[in-house]
Amino acid sequence: MSYIHFPIIAVMLLFLAAFLVVIFGTRRKNLRRIIAMTAAVISFGLIFYLIKPVMFDGEIISYWMGNWQPVEGYAIGIGYEIDALNLFFALLVSFTTLFSGWYSLRYMERDDYLDRYYTLYLMLSGAVLGLVLTGDLFNMFVMIEIMTFAAVALTAFRNWTAGALEASFKYLVVGSAGSSFVLAGVILIYAQCHTLNMAQISSILAGNEGLTPTTVLAFGLLFAGFGVKSYIVPFHPTAADAYTAAPSSVSMLFSGMVNKAGVYAMIRLTYVIFRAMDISAVQCLLVLLGCVTMFVGVTMALAQHDFKRLLAFHSISQIGYVITAIGLGTALGLSGGLFHAMNHTLFKGLLFLCAGAVFYAAGTTNLDKLGGLSKKMPKTTAIFLIGAFSISGLPPFNGFASKWMIYQATYEKAVTTNNIGYAFVTVVALIVSVMTLASFIKVTQSVFFGQLKAECAEVKEVPLSMRIPMWIMAGICLLSGVFYNKVIDWLLNPAVAAAINVSNYIDKMMGDGYAAAAGIRNLEIQGATLSFWNPLMWLALFVVVFFAVGIVIVTGKRSRGQVLTEGEEPQAKYDAFFGGEKALPSHVAGGDLFWGFKQNWKGYFRFMQRAHSGIVNDYALWAVAATAVFIVYLFIFVH
Amino acid sequence: MIIGNYIVAVFLIVLGLYAVANQRNMIKIVLGMGIVDYGVNLLIVSVGYRPGGTAPLFVANELLQGNFFVDPVPQALTLTSIVIGACVDAMALSLVIKIYNKYHTIDSTEVRRLNG
Repeated sequence: MSYIHFPIIAVMLLFLAAFLVVIFGTRRKNLRRIIAMTAAVISFGLIFYLIKPVMFDGEIISYWMGNWQPVEGYAIGIGYEIDALNLFFALLVSFTTLFSGWYSLRYMERDDYLDRYYTLYLMLSGAVLGLVLTGDLFNMFVMIEIMTFAAVALTAFRNWTAGALEASFKYLVVGSAGSSFVLAGVILIYAQCHTLNMAQISSILAGNEGLTPTTVLAFGLLFAGFGVKSYIVPFHPTAADAYTAAPSSVSMLFSGMVNKAGVYAMIRLTYVIFRAMDISAVQCLLVLLGCVTMFVGVTMALAQHDFKRLLAFHSISQIGYVITAIGLGTALGLSGGLFHAMNHTLFKGLLFLCAGAVFYAAGTTNLDKLGGLSKKMPKTTAIFLIGAFSISGLPPFNGFASKWMIYQATYEKAVTTNNIGYAFVTVVALIVSVMTLASFIKVTQSVFFGQLKAECAEVKEVPLSMRIPMWIMAGICLLSGVFYNKVIDWLLNPAVAAAINVSNYIDKMMGDGYAAAAGIRNLEIQGATLSFWNPLMWLALFVVVFFAVGIVIVTGKRSRGQVLTEGEEPQAKYDAFFGGEKALPSHVAGGDLFWGFKQNWKGYFRFMQRAHSGIVNDYALWAVAATAVFIVYLFIFVH
Repeated sequence: MIIGNYIVAVFLIVLGLYAVANQRNMIKIVLGMGIVDYGVNLLIVSVGYRPGGTAPLFVANELLQGNFFVDPVPQALTLTSIVIGACVDAMALSLVIKIYNKYHTIDSTEVRRLNG
């Protein structure tokens, strides 16, 4: 059995099933479910089968559509090329597709027009799978467009909910601006290289005229375009809206694979196509964007009153970790970033499914209206806690292992480059992790614990068919945290090696010796190591804790109550006291839990809330301005 | 003159982005998105242009010595891009209609229930 056809079959099957659902599944409820799930299962199986040849045996699969092989060293056909890096992301994509589909069988059953839901779901999955598997830059653009379309339509699927339509319109405007940047970048690269094949572009750009003004401009445009697709900070507000408004199974697709596709494209662009990761200006740009993304994401999450919107901002924040880690340009950093991308798919998907379960059971995701659900939904609460522990980075769950690798990678970078800025990155990453934990305490407190609200008295546990996919994902969260060594050996090391050894990628696609002729060498890398007991790390941790305590003491000194001047009597109305009656139990609402922190930072929070104005013009302006800044930055610092 | 094409292409892209970022009428925002597409399409076709080239249609014995084509790949890309652009505009306009039915306005500064 030849497995080189598997990737293209996996992609085409999803698209084919999308059409079959329209033709046969409009009336027949079970038939469309069977078609959709069969396609998802077979697609996952085909991708899973490739683990052995690609990950373990180190093979790279190249596939030319219609067998249009390169002629005289020029790629003329559309090629798919699957190395370990592609396959890693393809696994995430097909896993997310399968589990989201499984969950939505029951979750979506109360909605109308489900044939359209399954069609769009399959189109989205097929587009993202094609995006990560393709080896052709224009094919990537087409897949990005199909992905944006399907994502926009799915965002508006429940158009009776508040904000679904406006979220999808904003997503479409900013997303199509990003797509236009990608297209302009692709065409400028074509103008220079006269090819669209990524492997050949990579080998041509390595030559003497590698960085001309045109290619730098193309790099800036592609960087911004892929940034829009991975929702890093100046492009993020539409993502927060879309995640909130879409059904939960679709939010899981967005955070599990749509933004991973952007991250994949970013890695492919910086590591393989331009091989720009040895330029320190590009590293700084990525790390800076990553830090800003994780900080803005988590602070905005603290201020939210909606369960799903809070998760959406956490999703943005976690992508910040991934971008920071891949921006370091080291083997340890890249493997930490990939590990965190995988873990983010698992735990954020799980948390969105929990939010969906709460919505299914209680009919709302507003944090102020929920409370005490652990009494009614104990199993969902247990699953949610596993997800919350994972995202907050508590051992032994997977979030701990990957975040620890990222801390180590940033710290190692600070040591090897002698640049104190990277140590500061470690500090930011740790603080963001603490704030993540804080905001999940808020969610847990206001949704699952505390007093049962009267509105929630009739709530019932969600059915078993929704809980099974959630339990499986929770189990994988635990297992990949405990057996992190296996994950590193089996998945991460091959993927990192594939990203760094570009010449293998080029040779497989264009013929042996092609990369050597263009003057490309493989880089030496070491496998990623994860040492939990490095004393220097603990020292760094203590320094961070010391500073955190110091900040609290310094900012806490300022008096906020009564200011007594000389000879003035203290007044009783400023004292803290409790009434003489027995205190009634009252629910601490989510908004009140971190009141003190928010009060101290109220200038910042007020600014951020004004900045996320909800007006589409503002978001488009941010995207355009950020793109302009990227291009100017690259022109100044990259030669 | 081919340099004119590039100038107009960049002008169209900037004009479209300006419209997207500054127009409050949602239909004008959609038009801005369309103008960006046209600018990019013009850029693509210009990239494939070669002075003196003929249309890339190959008929046996017709191509004389010394004749050559313009680059056909960008033209194929432009067709794809035009189709995608038309779909984007259609979808955006249908969303505007739905938004008008629900919010009774197409002023983008009033369609902001999701914020903060």
